[in-house]
Amino acid sequence: MINARTIVPLLAALGLLVILPLFLSPNLLNAAIKMMIAALFALAFALAMGQAGMLSFGHSAYYGLGAFAALHLMRAVEHKLFGFPTPMIPLAGALIGFLFGLVFGWFATQRTGVYFSMVTLALAELLFTLAPTWNALFGGESGISTIRGPSWGINFGSDADVYYLTLGWFVVSAWCMWAFTKTPVGRLALALRDNEQRVRFLGFNTHVARTLIFAISCLFTGVAGALLAIANEAANYTIFSAQASANVVLQTFIGGAGTFFGPALGAMIMTFFARITSDLTRSWLLYQGLIFVLVMLFAPQGLGGLADLHARKVRTNGWKHLVAPYLLCLVVGLLLIAGLVFVVESIHVVLTDAYLAKRAAAKGEWVPYELFGQTFEPFSPVTWAIPIMLVAIGSTLLPVARRITARAWLAATRDVPDEPIAPSASAAPVAPPS
Amino acid sequence: MEYIVVSVLNGVVHGLLLFMVSAGLTLIFGMMGVLNFAHAWFYMLGAYVGFTLTRLGGFWIGLLLAPIVAGLAGVLVERYMLRRVHKYGHAHELLLTFGLAFIIEEVIKLFYGDALVSYQMPNYMRFAAFTIFETNYPFYRLFMGAVALAMFVILYLLLTRTRVGIVVRAATYRPTTVEALGHNLPVVYMAVFAGGSALAGLAGAVAGAFYPTGPNMAVDFGTLVFVVVVIGGLGSVVGALIASLMIGLFISFSVGLNVSIADLFGLIGLGSWASDVGGLFTLQLSTIANSMPFLLMLLVLLIRPAGLMGDRQ
Repeated sequence: MINARTIVPLLAALGLLVILPLFLSPNLLNAAIKMMIAALFALAFALAMGQAGMLSFGHSAYYGLGAFAALHLMRAVEHKLFGFPTPMIPLAGALIGFLFGLVFGWFATQRTGVYFSMVTLALAELLFTLAPTWNALFGGESGISTIRGPSWGINFGSDADVYYLTLGWFVVSAWCMWAFTKTPVGRLALALRDNEQRVRFLGFNTHVARTLIFAISCLFTGVAGALLAIANEAANYTIFSAQASANVVLQTFIGGAGTFFGPALGAMIMTFFARITSDLTRSWLLYQGLIFVLVMLFAPQGLGGLADLHARKVRTNGWKHLVAPYLLCLVVGLLLIAGLVFVVESIHVVLTDAYLAKRAAAKGEWVPYELFGQTFEPFSPVTWAIPIMLVAIGSTLLPVARRITARAWLAATRDVPDEPIAPSASAAPVAPPS
Repeated sequence: MEYIVVSVLNGVVHGLLLFMVSAGLTLIFGMMGVLNFAHAWFYMLGAYVGFTLTRLGGFWIGLLLAPIVAGLAGVLVERYMLRRVHKYGHAHELLLTFGLAFIIEEVIKLFYGDALVSYQMPNYMRFAAFTIFETNYPFYRLFMGAVALAMFVILYLLLTRTRVGIVVRAATYRPTTVEALGHNLPVVYMAVFAGGSALAGLAGAVAGAFYPTGPNMAVDFGTLVFVVVVIGGLGSVVGALIASLMIGLFISFSVGLNVSIADLFGLIGLGSWASDVGGLFTLQLSTIANSMPFLLMLLVLLIRPAGLMGDRQ
């Protein structure tokens, strides 16, 4: 599979990531670190989910355990109990993640489907509820903190050092996971997802295989957790929350669980989105929830799935048909988003205490409010016309855009067979009875 | 004695509340197979609707309309969202409802703010039902228990004694056969989902007037309702009641007990050794009361995955 078409973009992306810190502000550099950690977490999760079809709803357990393992190791180094090179600390996360993955996974993989999800959820919730009361190990509610020690001539004081450390581990781990999918066990994972019974019939011990795959997923999850511990130099029990488990599931599906790099893409985008919008607005979780719902409704295969679809189906010169319709879709989308954001943020401003105090001072009058650096009269027609116009134009254009895009899609994909011609187990040469 | 009686009373009422919230989910999860993560958020929606209507019209109007509003929200969610993603599988349904949970919570926060709202029961319901060990036992707790029991009886009779109930239960096992017999399966599913959401909404309106009503009320129940449904057995209303009572009693008893695993070792003369080891051995039962439901769920899943009253895997 390694050919010039895949290796060149990958090398280009890697080169970009290497020189990136030169151009980023400290805040963005920190965001980039968190994005890479989230991407690694999502890749590790997708190893169990996308490859083996195991929807773990408690991956935060191994993420948190990896983080706490790394923190305890860093503390031991800090207190001069023994020496350990800082860049190798994620190994502790990997080890703990793998061990707990084996033990917990052995129990969890006895069940399949939603029951598997429920067992993993219960295990993670157990840790989440135990951690705040278990002072010695998890530092109670405040958690534990430590500092990064210098080693190998690098002092790891700056974010740039942490960035390169994270990048190194990200690249190595991602490569290992990609290579794993090519090994016989990795192929077995796909078979387990598609038809476990057949795999068992072929003589494999599916329970052992599922446990092993789950544990390997947990291993890399532990690495991601350890990297987070190194970056933050602290962690507390909230790292185990169901919210954290759910986040990685969501990011994976937004990126596309069926593709290898999709989950990493989804995690990076959503982490960046959260980072940016949480500074700008208090309703950012609302927008995030809307994104989840819209992606699930209209792009269930995720961003990676969409990209994959285009790569497979669009003809070499088909793109010239698609550029204009996609631009139109973008405009329509932006109009609708702008209208929605205007309404939500207006409601938000009008209901803040500061605005209510202003109204009280003006004896209950609806005084003008400020939004996006402008002043708006709450009951002026102009104020109401803005969102109404935005949404009206957007929704009139929406069906038009859909029609044009559908036509362009046909034009762009003409002459390409519907299914990729590849021998696969599911496409057995047995015609269904008609 | 006082400890036991008070713990039983509190545990039973807390368990009944838990049942009210999770009764709808056991129908939705058990009969439609939808992992509805947003279920506890319908409970929250019910509480806020109750709060708003109590201000506008009165407590009883709120109690009446909260389940209707939650049920209508359920109809919209099922008809226009879940039905579309059903073919992609469990994960997509779960994630969709997860997004919905965000949306419901954030929209409520947008209008009502981050603080608790003062949703209160009417004053004429604020009296002590009886006095026990010099403590007044509020009447409203009994009222909540009565609503939950009524809900259980009606739901049980509806599912076992009426034609509608037969169709709903049959749709769980043989959906295609039910459809072939001429029943409109999508409508059945929509009704089950709406009904389940309405029950959660009613629970919110009833319980919100007694417990704090705030943005965190849904998160507290978010995963606990799944625990109840799994322990009770998917789709089993009786199982959900037993599981809720078990969890309620478990929690209310363990918060008052200061024993640890080290104390158990003490019975066989290894107490001091276990205390020296520390860690898990010296955690007090009272501090890990919140872990108990999940431990219970884990045991049930590993030993009897169909749940207490469930009959399927």
